[in-house]
Amino acid sequence: MANVLDLRRRIRSVKNTRQITKAMKMVSAAKLRRAQERALAARPYAKMITSVLESLTRRIEIFDPVTGSLRHPLFATREEKRVLLIVVSGDKGFAGAFNTNVLKTAFQFISGNPDKQIDIEAVGRKGRDQMRRHYPVASYKEQTDESGHTSQVRERGESVEVTGDHPGMLIKLETARVQKLAESIISRYVHEEIDAAYIVYNEFKSVISQRLVVERLLPLMKIGIPQITGAVEPSSEQRERAAEAALSAGIELEPVDTAAADDEARKFGTSQVDYIYEQPAEELFNGLLPQYVSSMLYHAMTESVAAEHAARMTAMDSASNNASDMIDAYTLEMNRVRQAAITKEIIEIVSGAAAV
Amino acid sequence: MADETNQLRVRLVTPERTLFDHAADAVELPAKNGYVEVLYGHAPLMAELGAGDVTLHGGPDGDQHYNVSWGFAEVLPDRVTILASDALKPEEIDLPRAEQQLDRGLNMWKEAGESPEAFDEALRVIAEAEAKMATAAEKH
Repeated sequence: MANVLDLRRRIRSVKNTRQITKAMKMVSAAKLRRAQERALAARPYAKMITSVLESLTRRIEIFDPVTGSLRHPLFATREEKRVLLIVVSGDKGFAGAFNTNVLKTAFQFISGNPDKQIDIEAVGRKGRDQMRRHYPVASYKEQTDESGHTSQVRERGESVEVTGDHPGMLIKLETARVQKLAESIISRYVHEEIDAAYIVYNEFKSVISQRLVVERLLPLMKIGIPQITGAVEPSSEQRERAAEAALSAGIELEPVDTAAADDEARKFGTSQVDYIYEQPAEELFNGLLPQYVSSMLYHAMTESVAAEHAARMTAMDSASNNASDMIDAYTLEMNRVRQAAITKEIIEIVSGAAAV
Repeated sequence: MADETNQLRVRLVTPERTLFDHAADAVELPAKNGYVEVLYGHAPLMAELGAGDVTLHGGPDGDQHYNVSWGFAEVLPDRVTILASDALKPEEIDLPRAEQQLDRGLNMWKEAGESPEAFDEALRVIAEAEAKMATAAEKH
């Protein structure tokens, strides 16, 4: 049996751990609040750009009536042979099963499409590390054509390759960087390097309502309706756990009511009047579609960041609770050991006195 | 539907935040092919924006300038909504950074060679930087 000193030392160490996990939980709660605010602030723009595109596609045929060609190459659908998968994971660990779940869904997607060539674009450090461990990085060869231009030519070795990663993008989420990514995806689609783009991320509606989704970004089939092709809902047990953690950290459980603002935003560009279009339809589509794709990406990332903080908060709350349980158990054991020692001493004294 | 005030409801929204949501007498927009001034009762219009200043006249705090780069504006008789890719208040403009951006744009322009896309991209960067510097200069 351990002696009192050992137990006391162990209790002290667990107490220290509890202090750290508690602090981490509070930090995550604060960050979650900020992430929620940011997600909320990004909503009007996303809603507006969706509704204006929607109304534009309703007014203007996506096929040009004169030439019969598409107004924008992003509307073109091809047979899905080469697929781009964007994996949005977290940058840090200590977030329970958050990263594992994202990666599990991504791997399921990959193994579910064995006959397709898949390019992976990893956002978030954890996802990048894992993806790189499993799949080779795409290699490029420099090629010079007759006019002396050098261009990068992709050399595909395996059917699944990592084409790029964006570490640190989530730490300071900036629209400019997200837009760069969106532009690169669009240019790959337009140049027919990929036939479709999917994104795996954690959707976040509120602390208790979040799910893992696989969403199709490209081709654009229906504007304004997320094309979710797969989703994993959390279990009711996980939900309860998250609710408990949120309550103790003082986070609102219900999502903030934005119905009025959303309605207002939805009206943007959809008024039932004939607009004067300053630019021809092709130009408007050219300007709007990249913005739309980038706003979908930005939306996915803000949600994922919020979900990550929520997951970390829940995980750290569980860790603090476990630490408290452990301290209780050790304290009980320590008291027992101490009492046993005292009893033993008394018996010794009493029997010593009796012997005299 | 005219009311006594004849004011427009003007909103300026970026992907990250809503900068402005107030009533104003008139608003100037930097449309891609030139500035447009919108007063109450303007015909419905949808325009792509370039880089430049959005100026609000007769807002709650007097005239206000915002630097806007790229986006869209919807004009309805009583309402103007500006969807900007990026928008800054004049005091938020980082002048050294704008100068760096201009240099970068000029370099891109020099290196663009014969690719029209690279030229367009360079011109965009230059226009954005110049618009930012112009807004900042106006302020000081």
